[in-house]
Amino acid sequence: MSAWLIILTIGFAWLGAVCVWLAGDKRPRAQHTLAVLFSVAAGLAALALIPNTSDQAVISLNAGSVFGQFTFVPDGLGVFLTVVATVIGSLAVIFSVEYMRGEAQLGRYYALILLFIGSMAGLVLTGSLFLMFVLWEMTALCSYALISFYNDDPKAVRGGIKALIITQIGGIGLLVGTLAVYIYLGDYQIDTLLAQAQTLPAGVLSFIAFTFLLAAMAKSAQVPFHTWLPDAMEAPTPVSALIHAATMVNAGVYLLARFYPAFADVAGWKTAVLTIGLLTALLAALMAVVATDLKRMLAYSTVSQLGYMVYAIGVGGVFASQFHLLSHAIFKALLFLGAGAVIHALGTRDMRQMGGLRTQMPVVSTTFMIGAAALIGLPIFNGFWSKELILESGLEGGPIWANVGTLLGAGITAFYAFRMVWMVLFGQPQGKTHVHDAGIPMKTALIPLAFGTLTSWLLIGRFGSWLQATLPYEQLNVESTEEMLLAIITTPATYLALAIVALGMVAWWQRERLTGLARSLQGVGRAAANGFGFEALNQGAVSLTQKAAAALQVTQTGQLNWNVLGIVVALVVVLLVLAGV
Amino acid sequence: MFLNLFLLLAAVLCAFQAIRARQMLAAALWLACTSAIVAWLLYALGAQEVAVIELSVGAGLVTILFVFGITIAGEEIQEVGSLVPWAVAGGIALALIGLVAWFVLPAQEASTAVSEPSFSVMVWENRGLDMLVQIGLIFAGVLGILGILAEKETAEEQARASQKTPTSTPPLPQPQVITTDAHQDTPIKEAHA
Amino acid sequence: MSSELTITAVTVLCLLGVALYGLLIVRNLFQVIIALQILVKGALIALVLAGKISGQINLGQSLAVTVIVADTIVAVVGLALAVQVKRYTGSLDVKNLSTLRR
Repeated sequence: MSAWLIILTIGFAWLGAVCVWLAGDKRPRAQHTLAVLFSVAAGLAALALIPNTSDQAVISLNAGSVFGQFTFVPDGLGVFLTVVATVIGSLAVIFSVEYMRGEAQLGRYYALILLFIGSMAGLVLTGSLFLMFVLWEMTALCSYALISFYNDDPKAVRGGIKALIITQIGGIGLLVGTLAVYIYLGDYQIDTLLAQAQTLPAGVLSFIAFTFLLAAMAKSAQVPFHTWLPDAMEAPTPVSALIHAATMVNAGVYLLARFYPAFADVAGWKTAVLTIGLLTALLAALMAVVATDLKRMLAYSTVSQLGYMVYAIGVGGVFASQFHLLSHAIFKALLFLGAGAVIHALGTRDMRQMGGLRTQMPVVSTTFMIGAAALIGLPIFNGFWSKELILESGLEGGPIWANVGTLLGAGITAFYAFRMVWMVLFGQPQGKTHVHDAGIPMKTALIPLAFGTLTSWLLIGRFGSWLQATLPYEQLNVESTEEMLLAIITTPATYLALAIVALGMVAWWQRERLTGLARSLQGVGRAAANGFGFEALNQGAVSLTQKAAAALQVTQTGQLNWNVLGIVVALVVVLLVLAGV
Repeated sequence: MFLNLFLLLAAVLCAFQAIRARQMLAAALWLACTSAIVAWLLYALGAQEVAVIELSVGAGLVTILFVFGITIAGEEIQEVGSLVPWAVAGGIALALIGLVAWFVLPAQEASTAVSEPSFSVMVWENRGLDMLVQIGLIFAGVLGILGILAEKETAEEQARASQKTPTSTPPLPQPQVITTDAHQDTPIKEAHA
Repeated sequence: MSSELTITAVTVLCLLGVALYGLLIVRNLFQVIIALQILVKGALIALVLAGKISGQINLGQSLAVTVIVADTIVAVVGLALAVQVKRYTGSLDVKNLSTLRR
């Protein structure tokens, strides 16, 4: 049963990709319909997986002795992320029906999105490290192609190539770690690694742990690799919502959560994860404060929230991290799609040219405010519960300076989220004064997400017991919904955090009076606008790669005879090596 | 023994001529000769069924296809002088073959024939999956032939279009626009075909 | 190996060698396909020869049938491509085929 559901989830998405492409760009209506049908079908198949979880591999294909078994395991963690990918994926596709109406080359757009949804579902469901690496790279490829979707815009092309190269650094980390696992354990199965991690030599285990951390840092845009994500905002907005907020960037967090039981005892690993997460959360929040481009600001906010998830894993709160991942996926997809509706209506991404949209776009503004409230962490909204859970696990397992840092980050988050809502929705209308509210497809995507933002925290207990039942290696301390919510409400830390959040909001109210403080922080603001100098580091990596590629281009003549010569020479070398043995 | 030696020499000679020939029709005919000799060799090895297929398909059908294709594309005398220097090419090819020979030739004695099913049983039942794959391949081949045939039609269209353009359009930038259009249109048509 | 089989093996090697040499030096696309055909003919004999040596000639033959079919399809598709190339570039020369920017 669950074997079939996994096949259907991935199959619907990939089949849809082929069908949309075959429909051809001359029939945009058919393309929209097919894309929505197939993505919704994949989402339904993924939802049907929820009652069919198990901790055993349900699909196992023998791919020979070198590649091992290609297995798929529908355990809680995998199914949860599959549901996030396919459901938010189908909502993004529905949103695209309106957002991308009239655009050229819809076939490429929808085919890549559907390919991405299938790959992401495969990535989180597979039990084979090798297959995971392949699908990991497929998601990176889809992300690159979609960032550069408007390929006549040099900025989009540059952003796509940057994202590709930076995430490749992580891909290389994952590959090297995977090969180390294979060399020492003779198997690619994730279960084998989790079960036998303690039998590995300590040096090897820490090598694997840190290569996987590198992979997660590049994929989840952690410091110092965080600069690709803001540049990825050249993608069409539904793509940003799906890939660069709700799913692919979470793959790094998923990787850390998945292998936490194996790496938790590695010396220094947890401290490194915690430090990177905290640093990312704070720096990205500061960058969000000074950003003026709506989508870039949301991207910085995504980086910051991903930093919180990574931090939670570093302090041992795997469950808190995954729960925040769920909340964040919902409210950040909502914020991005809301921003997409605003950008679609106004034709600009600059927040300084927005304002006063509250009365003109009632549905969009209401949902956008719900999303922002969750981002700030106001009570009732899902972001509140999950963020408090992270802070609480930080109190239990983290050093005191880290607690102070996370609280500070929560304050900055409240400040920039409030600033964003104010600049976009309130104040005086700038530029275009007469805009229409979103159409039916956009509302169909926004309203369920807003509903999810309001209610998804009610699932906390069930979510926890579900993860606990199917992840034998993780030790999650999960209680029932009431107990967990009660624990959050009764912790004094919650009120401390709320006070700091309120302080952040008050700081925005009183911004005129705080000019002295603002002036003293100007240097920080300038450094934040320049990405704290990490931009140069990333740009260096990108240009180094491109220079190396240009130098190697000499070997690619494109002439058949020389290519055949290369093949034959390689064959001779292989035979010589064989003869030498 | 002598038969094998003769076939060896004949096959290599024909193959070499097919490579060396300057005219494509001649090369295609030399290929047909090679194919026929290979078929004879297969017969001598005791593989009668495959020999027949090779003779009819390799020497017959493929040759006809080559002649067909060459007539459509037009004869083009090959330029002298290869991109890879011939000494390098010959050297590396010899090195590879020498290495393979060093691996292969000291093989074991031929074992006695084990009892195995007849050719038709082997093809249709034991290797049934292969037949399915072959059906797929043949389908691809049909599409390939369609590619050759469809070309003729669109080439005529293009010829007609290029005849029209100088007469019916004003002198300045328009002809260029039309030619780029024609270039962009045709690949799309083929992709649909 | 008996001398007949050895000579047949040498034939296989010679055909492979000629074909590889051809692939390295020919510049006309039709001749590239011809060289590929010769290469596959060598492989065809090798399959039947292997069947003969291991005493399972019918197994070798059934594999050879698949190879013949695949080989013919390669020729057909290759010819179609060559004809299209001729139409677009006006030339069958491999040298003019490269569109890579350098």
